[in-house]
Amino acid sequence: MLALEQPYVPSRAGLLDGTPVAALAMLAAAWGLALLALPAAAARGVGLAAAHGALLGAALAWTAPDPRRERWAPLEAALLLGAATLCARLLPGGAVAYLGVPAWLLRRRADWRAGGTEHARSALAGALFGLLLGAHLLVNASLTLGLRVRPAPIADLLGWLAYDLGANVLAAEACFRGGLFTRALQRWPFPAAAALSTAASVARYLVDPLLPHATGILAGATFYLALLGVGNCWLLVRHGSLAGPIAGGLLFFAAYRLLAR
Amino acid sequence: MTVALGLVLGAITLAIAASDAGAGSLWRHAYHVPVVVAALRWGGGAVLAALAAVLLYTPFVLPALERSGPSPSVLEGLVTLALLLGVGVSSGALAAGVHRQRVRYETLVAVQRALDGEAALDVTLVRLRTSLEARLAGTIGLAVRDGERVALAGGAVLTSGSPAARVLSAGGPLFVPDLGGGMRPRRCFVAPLVGRGGTTGALALERRGDIGGEERRALLALARHLGLALENARLAARQRRFAEELAEKVTAATRHVVEMDRMKSDFVAIASHELRTPLTALQGFSELLATRRFAPAELARVGAIMNAETERLGRIVADFLDLARLERGLAPPLRRGPVDAGAVVGDAVEVLRRARTTHRLELDCDEALPKVDADPDALDRIVKNLVSNAVKYSPAGSRVRVRARLQAMPPAVEIIVEDEGPGIAAADLARVFEPYYRTAAGARVATGSGLGLAVVKSLVDAHGGSIRAENVAPHGTRMTLILPALP
Repeated sequence: MLALEQPYVPSRAGLLDGTPVAALAMLAAAWGLALLALPAAAARGVGLAAAHGALLGAALAWTAPDPRRERWAPLEAALLLGAATLCARLLPGGAVAYLGVPAWLLRRRADWRAGGTEHARSALAGALFGLLLGAHLLVNASLTLGLRVRPAPIADLLGWLAYDLGANVLAAEACFRGGLFTRALQRWPFPAAAALSTAASVARYLVDPLLPHATGILAGATFYLALLGVGNCWLLVRHGSLAGPIAGGLLFFAAYRLLAR
Repeated sequence: MTVALGLVLGAITLAIAASDAGAGSLWRHAYHVPVVVAALRWGGGAVLAALAAVLLYTPFVLPALERSGPSPSVLEGLVTLALLLGVGVSSGALAAGVHRQRVRYETLVAVQRALDGEAALDVTLVRLRTSLEARLAGTIGLAVRDGERVALAGGAVLTSGSPAARVLSAGGPLFVPDLGGGMRPRRCFVAPLVGRGGTTGALALERRGDIGGEERRALLALARHLGLALENARLAARQRRFAEELAEKVTAATRHVVEMDRMKSDFVAIASHELRTPLTALQGFSELLATRRFAPAELARVGAIMNAETERLGRIVADFLDLARLERGLAPPLRRGPVDAGAVVGDAVEVLRRARTTHRLELDCDEALPKVDADPDALDRIVKNLVSNAVKYSPAGSRVRVRARLQAMPPAVEIIVEDEGPGIAAADLARVFEPYYRTAAGARVATGSGLGLAVVKSLVDAHGGSIRAENVAPHGTRMTLILPALP
């Protein structure tokens, strides 16, 4: 038992200690330059890679035993994401390049690969949760906003799925659940840690320039993303694996993308 | 139960959908029923039931809000949503609180049961740990001071600087938000076990999950109770041990008294017999003297016999008197002075050699033995008693060897009387100097009062000397008497 057998040294580290500030600043600068110098579509691509890279890099640094070893991880992630975005834009089926990001992430973090059947259980629970939430979103949005389910070509669906798995959902869950929530939970009780993590993840989507800013959409996004955030926090605590939150997010966003605007 | 509640929630939703009132349907109030039932059944599960109800009811409220704005029926719907969440959270919290309270009482009862009985501390701690782990949903560790050591349950060692060790030394509770080890933090709370003399131990709870403030307060109270209960159990065990020891001592003392009583009874019988023998002789010869006339030679022989018997009687009476003094804790009266131990030993052996012809009495005295500070009569009695005993308990014709020699450091005279008898049983060796004590083998061989060696011991002690009995190979007994030499 660790309480008897393991020496304990109280940690004085702050919640955000180890954040790779230099790399994040460089990414922000790159995005700023892109906005000034590049066409809108290219700047959007740079922004996407920089934002998701920043989230992934921060997650890696926050969860690493020695955060200094991951101080340039945001740049690496952003480069990888940039390349994937370029592939997705230029090549048919190029979105599959996004799958390189989770592979890169898992190669870097052996401890995230460990877990075995717990990952499967977590993924199953997360999928069920995401499915329920997504179904509710479809019903509610169609009743409330008059939006209908849009049948999409399978290639588009797979492309969205690859993007969510390699960038959108992966980056959000790794950062807000795997990094921020886990760190907060090491200091505070579950409600406080879940509130912080959920608030941060909701904020990340509310400031996303790609999200429509109609009041109804924003209220709905806040409602569902808050539920998704709290549910994913609970899944992470329950199973100790990010597979559940990622599966939940994937299915929820898949349902979201099926809505015709 | 979960399925039933799901069906009820679905049925209510269908009923609302089927009514024309939409969000304002009265069926919306029925959502509270499964929420309260979930609270009663699972406590915290009421929150999930309330969330499910909210999710099911939202598609009626939000479209109405989108269509007609905040109309009265929409506001009612929004209030219902808020109420459902409020009822779910509060009733769930209340039910969970009641459940926790019940678990606490059960835990206290379980603790009392684990402490029941007379098991050793380590066994009791293992029992306590098992019992607490079943109720506190976590890993339990216990460390309790037991004299110089710390008894443990739940761990092999108590590492210096560990949370439990810190609590044991500092005395206050310690909450560790994360002991390390992955995305699910391993919380730990260590509460001191407090007895009347301060911190006596530590109770540690480890869990991959929250240990909230209320639970920590409850654990502190449990640890206080546990500390006192352990101390009471320890005191009770100590009292039991004390009572057992006392009972053992009383039993031993009673046995000793019974034994003494039996030995005294034996002694009275033997003493009567010992006294009667010379008295009978004296009585017989005195009657003969009164009724018959004797020739001078016969008269001298009768006189000698009567004198010998009188001396024997005197010795017996002297032994009785010495014993009486011995039992009162008084030293025998001595007239001490510088005595040539070799001469006294030689005279005593010579007298006995003339009186007893059945044994070969051998005397071996070092020349120029130092003098000892002794009462010559007492020393004579000692030597004669030891030699008489050797003669009495060894077969006729065997050798009795008496030696007197100088012991260098510290300067002393050592007198050894050694026979070729059967020896003394090992169990009897330590007791042969006790008053009235007679070995079973000795009692079969010869009569005696059981006082001789006791008197010898008291006389030796009074001289500041020592005496010991031992067996010699191949058979025989050796009595070794040591008297300090005069400088």
